[in-house]
Formats: sequence, structure tokens, C-alpha cells
Amino acid sequence: MKKTHIPKLDDFLGGGIPEGSSILFCAVPGVECEAFGYQILNGIIEDGHKGFIFTNVSEPNDIIYEFSQYGWNLEKNLQEEKAFFVDGSSNFIGLPPTGKYSINELSQIEGIVLKAIDDVSNGVGVINNLSTLIDYLEEDKIIEILDKWNKRAKANNTILVYIFTKWGYEQKLINTIKNSVDSIVSLTSIEERVIIGQGFMVTSASWTKPQNNMVLFFVLQPGGVKIYIPKILVTGPYNAGKSSFVKSISKRSVSVERMALEKFPTTIAMDIGHVDHNGFVADIFGTPGQERFDLMLDVLSKEAVGAFIIVDSSAPQTFARAKEMINKTHAKAIPKIIVANKQDMLGALSPEQIREAMKLDKNIPIIPTTITENIGVEKALDALLKLLYGDTK
Amino acid sequence: MIPRIESGIPEFDELTLSESGIGGIPENSSTLIYGPPKTGKSIFSYQFTYQGLSNDEPCLYITTDQGLNQLKNNMFDFQMPIEKYIEDKTLFIIDTTSNISEGMQTKTETIVSSDINNPTDIMVKVGSGVKYICKKYPRFRSVLDSSTTLLAYNDTMLILRVLKAYLMRVNGVGGTPIITYTENSADIMIETMLKSMVDNIIKLDGKTVIVEAMNGIGKRSAKYKIKDHGIIL
Repeated sequence: MKKTHIPKLDDFLGGGIPEGSSILFCAVPGVECEAFGYQILNGIIEDGHKGFIFTNVSEPNDIIYEFSQYGWNLEKNLQEEKAFFVDGSSNFIGLPPTGKYSINELSQIEGIVLKAIDDVSNGVGVINNLSTLIDYLEEDKIIEILDKWNKRAKANNTILVYIFTKWGYEQKLINTIKNSVDSIVSLTSIEERVIIGQGFMVTSASWTKPQNNMVLFFVLQPGGVKIYIPKILVTGPYNAGKSSFVKSISKRSVSVERMALEKFPTTIAMDIGHVDHNGFVADIFGTPGQERFDLMLDVLSKEAVGAFIIVDSSAPQTFARAKEMINKTHAKAIPKIIVANKQDMLGALSPEQIREAMKLDKNIPIIPTTITENIGVEKALDALLKLLYGDTK
Repeated sequence: MIPRIESGIPEFDELTLSESGIGGIPENSSTLIYGPPKTGKSIFSYQFTYQGLSNDEPCLYITTDQGLNQLKNNMFDFQMPIEKYIEDKTLFIIDTTSNISEGMQTKTETIVSSDINNPTDIMVKVGSGVKYICKKYPRFRSVLDSSTTLLAYNDTMLILRVLKAYLMRVNGVGGTPIITYTENSADIMIETMLKSMVDNIIKLDGKTVIVEAMNGIGKRSAKYKIKDHGIIL
């Protein structure tokens, strides 16, 4: 077993990657995926093994530079012959090749990579990028080559790491590729018009039953792949039930509140909770609802990846304020759920009536709830997770 | 009524007047500009970019056949200085030409480098560029000049997939993208597929600008010349 050196990933994979196995990083276009391969290679070399990078996307010098930006010294490892390049890029853009091996024509790729695998037995090889290979070679041919590489890697105890960008390929081809590797890590994006977050999860591993968790990450220079706990915002008008909502979805929560004149507590700074639901972990930030605390909204909403907008279904006069709060917390630009609370109250509007009254887009889910009785709360949570993570979950 | 944005060439906006009395490029549509080499496709892109910048509309510019400095100089030659817009960060440039490992001198939040044969990385940069721009501006323009270079250095099917992803990304957030392409640089099938991906098709043949397709108007054409300030009809 070898560590991937990517935070959390080793836990999900049951400790790491067994020698001789293949792992595919399968990314939605626009999600940073190359750093995963580079980080694994750097870590395994630092652990005292050898590694190579097959590149058909960047020249070796650019990759060396990129490593240096992450704070990793690839140049030294190249000099000490702990690492080498299979340069499948330079010749194709008219530059002199620089790797230990270089590829002049496509037909050489198969054989040269096999040689490279032999050279790093008990080490690691990174193939960047598989999608570029697919388009250059015939589809049948690529599957055949993958099988040969994986077999040879198995025989040599070499770990193979494939970087793959899911451009608009046929699903059948994607499935065949997925079936030809031992493990798949899906890299996906959280989007609301633009990419606001990136996440990874292990979708399969032949050696273990992977934990079905999604982890959000960003790529830092220096540093490489770092994970972070996403932040979910809970906002809405005064007395809509935000604090109760935070309490009921969180394992633990704290509220900064005081007794208002009305003799019930009102949040004056924020609620903080922590949710752990079906392998999804997040920090929950609840905002105050009163206008005099609006200066908090901007601060609390920074970097949030999703939002719950809590409304009192029986108080349509507060809906305008709810919309104002969506704007003030920038929740327009992140995935969100409207939690239609107080459904048990007399005169509570139905979700569809609320949609109409608030003029909400039909894609925004509205979940009827009675938070005090814990009705609909879990459904609201599931609905937001589905928006955030789509079909991968 | 389809909202239009100024192309940067006043006579072109007149040429494309629709029944509602406005001309220009339909906002939030996608446009292909193609024609033989040296007919002014890049110049059209410069004017399109510069017009947007002057109207306080930012631009995401992906340059694949000239480096940042060359782009600056070329635009300056047509009296479109972009220094100011680079400084105020309304011009976001993805430079796939200047080689960063060999000392591309400027690298900032809005000037980023990529590799001509690394579409995965280009798309990551497009994503972060779009995110950067959308935070501050509801509308923006984008130019990819030119798809020909991408096609030359990569497999054509791959690049068609990439271009599609690019157009979707920009259109999806309210941007108006244009792509340039040199006629006959790839085979005719690729050209047909390129044309089928976009809403508007404009051909520059050296003498005539032909609007082959544009939402809301029929086919139109006019003679043009390239002068000190760029294209005039």
C-alpha cells in the first residue's frame, strides 16, 4: 500500500493505493485535476520510490515550473534519476524533446510507456492526459493499450495514475474506461452559473469498499491539493426559524442571541452549527434576521457554497425581506433551497403559493417544513446536497 | 426583441440593423468569424474587445497565436491601447503562447498562462476567468483568437469538444463569445461542425464581410477595408 499524499483520499481508499493498481482521476471540464497526479508522484518519490510523468499536454519544462510553484522540487528528483519524463508533447509542437524518453509518433506511445513502467517498478507513473490520448488514437485501441499498461504495471508493482477530463464523450466509452482501472476518483464542480467549488469523491476501488464521501478542495500554490469544510448559509427574515433550523440540522450548535423585548430569544450575531449527514460535512452559519444587523450579512456569507432561505409560510408580508436577504447575502449566485417553515400555522401558504408570491425561479426547490417538530428538515438538507453534488452522490 | 451589443465597427452595426432598428452582435449569442488568412479576423476581435472595454464591459481574451506583448502591440498599432484595461483588470487574458517557464514576465490575477496543447488547463483558466469577471460584472465579452492554432496543435475532435465547453461556459453566465477560424485550415467537416456550434457566422474574405447567419436578420454583406483604426465598411 502506498499513500497518495492527498488529504482525506487515503482514508477513503482504506489507507492508500496497493502497489500495481491503477487509479483514474475523472474530472468535469474546468475542475483542476492535474495537481492530483503531480501530488501523488511527488509524495511517492519523497517516500523513496521512483516515478515518471507521461505528458502530452505540457512540455516538461512547464511541468517542472508548475511543481516549483507547488513547492516541490522536481528538478532535483530528475537530476537524481528518481523521476523522469516521457515527453509526448514537445515533438508535436515543434520543440526539442527533453525527457528520458520522447515520442515522435503516436504509434510509439504504447511501447515507450511500457518501458517507462518497467523502469519504475514499485514506483508510480502519471499519465497526463488520457482524454488527449483518446482523441488521438482509436477508441478500441485506447482500451487495448490501457489493458496492456495496467497488466504490466501489476506485474511490476507500479501504480498508474491517469488524469482524464470528461469532455463530451459517449457514456459507453467513459464506462469502458472506468471498467479498465482499479479505482476511480470523480472530480466535480459545484456550480451556480460559475464554478464556486470543486469536490472529489472515490466512486470505486477494487481493493476496498470506499467511503462514499464528497470532499471539497482547492489547489494552492504553494501547497497543492488542500481540502476544506464547506460553509452553508442559513438566512431569512426575523423570526422565521433560522436558529431552530440550524439547531435541528446540526449535531452541535451555538447561537449568539439575546432576549428581545418580546421575551423570546433573537439572534444578534450568528448561529454556528456543524452538520454531518450521509458522509457530508459542513459548517452552518446562520445570520440574524433583523435589519439592524444587516452589516453582518456580508461577512457571514463570504465563501458559502450553498444556502437555506428560511421563510415563515404564514407571514407573506416578510417575503420581500426574504428576497432582500437573498441579495444581501449574495445567495443569488449559489445553490439554494427555500425552507417554507411553519406549515403547521393557520393560513400557511403552500410551496407553490410561496413560489408565486416570491416570484422564484422554478428550479429553486421549496421544501415545506415545521422545524419545531422536525418535519421536512432532513428533506431540505437532502435537497441542498443534491443541488450541490448532483448525480455523483 | 434581441438585445444587441456594439461590434466596435459602427458600419457593421448598421449593416446588421434588424427590424427593431438596432444592430450589432446579438447579446449572449456565440459568433464564428472565419475567412482566409490575413483578412482581418483578429482585427475584428480587437475592435469587438476594445468596444466592450470602452463601454465598461470586461473581456475574457484567450490568445493562442500571439503572446501578451504582441497582442498589446498589435492592438496599439490600430490605436487601441489596452494597458489601462490590463491595469484596472477589466481585460482578463489567457496567454497560451508566452512560455512561462522561460520567463513570461507578467503573471497577475488577470493575466494567466496556459499551454496550447493542454485544453484541460485552458478550460480551468476559462472557468476561473469567468468566475472572476462574473463577481463584478453582469455582462462581458469573450474572444478566442484563434481556434486554428488550437486545431493545429491538437486532435480536431478534442478541440471541437473544448470549443463547445468554452461556448457553453461563457454563454451560460451571460457572456458573448466570439471564435475566429482560418478557412481551410482544417478539413471541411470540421468547418461544418464549427459552424453548427455557433449562433452567428461572419465571413471576412479580404474584400467583403458576409453575415452568413445571425439571429433576427437575413444574409447580408458589404465591402470593407482595413485602415489605421481597424476595419471600416
